[in-house]
Amino acid sequence: MLKTVLKRILQCIPTVFIVVTFTFILTRMIPGNPAATILGPQASAEDIAAMEIKLGLDKPVWEQYVNYILDVLHGDFGTSYMYNQPVLRLIAERIPKTLQLTVTALVIAVILGVAIGMFSALHQYSILDYLFMILALIGVSMPVFWLGLMVVKVFAVDLGWFPATGRGGPELLDMIRHMVLPCLCLATIPMATFARITRSSMLETINSDSIKALRARGIKERSVIMKHAFKNALPPIVTVLGLQIASCFTGAILTENIFAWPGMGTMIVNAITNRDYTLIQGTVLFFAIVFVLVNLAVDLVYMLINPKVSYEGGSK
Amino acid sequence: MAKRISRRDFLRGSAAGAALVAMTGLTGAVASAESEGTKDLVVSLSSSPSKLDPIHYTGTYEGQIIGEVCDRLIEYNDSLDEYVPSLAASWEVSEDGLTYVFQIRDDVYFQTGTYQDGRQMTVDDIVYSLNRSAEYSDNNRLSMLDYAEATGDWEVTCHLTAANSAFMTALTDAGNSIVPEEEVEGWGDDFGFHLIGTGPFYMTEFALDEYASLTANKSYWLKEPNLDTLTFRFITDTSQSANAVLTGEVDIATDLTGEAANTVTSSGTEDISLMQVEQLKIDYIRLNTTTGPTADINVRKALIMAVDWDAVVSALYPYGDAVRAYEPVPRGSWGYDSELEELVLPYDPEGAKELLTEAGYPDGFSITFYVSNTAIRQTLATVLQAYWAEVGVDCEVNISEWGTFSDYAASGTADVYGMSWTWYPDPYFFLNNLFASYNIGSNGNGANYSDPEVDDLLDKAAAATDQDERAEYYKEAMKIAMEAYSGSYYATTILTYAVNNRVTDFAQRADGTLRFVTEEHNVSVE
Repeated sequence: MLKTVLKRILQCIPTVFIVVTFTFILTRMIPGNPAATILGPQASAEDIAAMEIKLGLDKPVWEQYVNYILDVLHGDFGTSYMYNQPVLRLIAERIPKTLQLTVTALVIAVILGVAIGMFSALHQYSILDYLFMILALIGVSMPVFWLGLMVVKVFAVDLGWFPATGRGGPELLDMIRHMVLPCLCLATIPMATFARITRSSMLETINSDSIKALRARGIKERSVIMKHAFKNALPPIVTVLGLQIASCFTGAILTENIFAWPGMGTMIVNAITNRDYTLIQGTVLFFAIVFVLVNLAVDLVYMLINPKVSYEGGSK
Repeated sequence: MAKRISRRDFLRGSAAGAALVAMTGLTGAVASAESEGTKDLVVSLSSSPSKLDPIHYTGTYEGQIIGEVCDRLIEYNDSLDEYVPSLAASWEVSEDGLTYVFQIRDDVYFQTGTYQDGRQMTVDDIVYSLNRSAEYSDNNRLSMLDYAEATGDWEVTCHLTAANSAFMTALTDAGNSIVPEEEVEGWGDDFGFHLIGTGPFYMTEFALDEYASLTANKSYWLKEPNLDTLTFRFITDTSQSANAVLTGEVDIATDLTGEAANTVTSSGTEDISLMQVEQLKIDYIRLNTTTGPTADINVRKALIMAVDWDAVVSALYPYGDAVRAYEPVPRGSWGYDSELEELVLPYDPEGAKELLTEAGYPDGFSITFYVSNTAIRQTLATVLQAYWAEVGVDCEVNISEWGTFSDYAASGTADVYGMSWTWYPDPYFFLNNLFASYNIGSNGNGANYSDPEVDDLLDKAAAATDQDERAEYYKEAMKIAMEAYSGSYYATTILTYAVNNRVTDFAQRADGTLRFVTEEHNVSVE
């Protein structure tokens, strides 16, 4: 098992390296000169040239690349020229704020989504089942930015229940009030996805022969559902959870911008708008590492919930 | 042998982990400016500032914060047609326009910082700040200054590289704010996060992408601010700025788009008013005067006459967030001359066709129109394409990101390009940029417009120190330049703020600078 885990971790290294390289190439391919973008329309050609030297953009691209890789290997993600601060420090400051939204939204989404999915599966073809699944379909199809503006219109502007923007604080209650709308927005899509996947996965296991056999043996229905059926239905839900963690982060980019939430998303959008190469590279690299780790975690959890799954042909 | 973890343990573990991460987020709490019984004003900015060191700032939204924390030698009055004293009580300009002598106030103190304890501001601070800007400003905001020196206990003399009246305008820019050397050197690259000046508010907290909290400097030399705190919140989505002013989270929402302003008016609320003023901004297209078909003045006139510019403005700004412009300087500048409006060509597609035939293009020709990738410019491109097709001109549109577009425009090879220009109210910043031959090669004069007479008038205007005399030179230069039809200056956008009625004594300025404590005003809240 330990060997498998180590192997999986080692496999992550080339992935991250490829991401670093691609990000570097892609940022260089964004049209436009960062120096001109930073200085704005009034800048003269000399100002722009001076800024290019300051940013190290006057050097050949391969030299920039080699320097960047060497720095990253030394744990130096570079300095953002927009914020004039080390990229790692900026990421470290933003991560808790983004996690505050994404984790809360995911917890809500998992709990409600799985509960709704279970209910629907157990009451297949009931009116509530239809209702939930129609709502889930709408939820999955809704664009986050549209949903964001709608909830603000209804709950902040018209009803005045919650604030429209910002993070609030320092009191916990004030901060929670500020979290409600962005979390609602961010939780909707994953919640709908969880409801749908839980329903279909549960239906599959409930109708399987093994469950029928358990029922035939007279085991209590509650025990059949919770102990056996749900456990067997878990693997697809865990896979989707892994994917949803990823999409929750991308959803946070839009949601944070709408709600003026000072997390990673707002920072990334500003970095792209301002052609802040080092910051774009740093955040993309960081996200790549997060995604690789989430995938790794999903694989490991698979092994735990289903020992039959093995990645190295029987290391168990 | 792996230890098996039961499902329950697993779920319990994950829940605890999730809760832990959520709590980490929650404990990263931030301070808020809100409290009972104090006069707190919250203003939204539409972009997120990051660089508050005066020599490094690049966006006007950054200038807003610097503007409140720091003072400059002089300021513009609210109507932007006169300089008023600030840290300099008075000044004199030499005959040749090369030397400016300022008498400095002797009753000004810096805000308390980490590297100085709120000491008195001296002439050395002025000399240090101006020379620093002249040498290191990222945007060359004081490039005309050769050097500044102390020439008396309370006297500073500035020597220019060449006579240039725009020097005074430059001094009003937030980039040329007066800062204490100890703080700048002490903080180094981080000075912007610990900005110190002599202004009406000092910065208590600057949270990136979130807010800047300012507290009143009760011993401000000009007058005690009426407000206790001033918070700038950064809300990049302007519909959300409008919503934030409707919910009362923000008192003044700045830079609203027409659509966002419409959100405020259509809400029917009586607590919030819109403030609108024409900006110091011109939307224009420029036509190449040296290469391609547009090198012929008749072709340029034809292309301008083929377009109903009034209709263009309505199409681009459906919420009425712009008005028709006619001249290369905005109406808010003292260089504007309404008499020159008659030089603008009428909408006359038939006349345009005749001119094209005269120029030897009875069957039209093909040109390329360059714009940057903003929504409004793209619409402009589509609309002009249709108008020009009517007179037989086949227009290809090239849309690119700002940096690339700017390179095309500056190269002087674009047939036609569309952009906008905004700067200080002094006509120098519009006319020299658009028409001076030395600006060929910059995006301002990508039309390659060159006329020695205009160059001469612009030089004379820059060297003269009397504003009336300068205005005369500028009007003459503008007339000659407009008669060459190297462009159409078709729209001026409207600057819109939504302001809660509890805010008192707030004045909107055409250049978009926000000032809360001035000779004329002292903003408060009820």
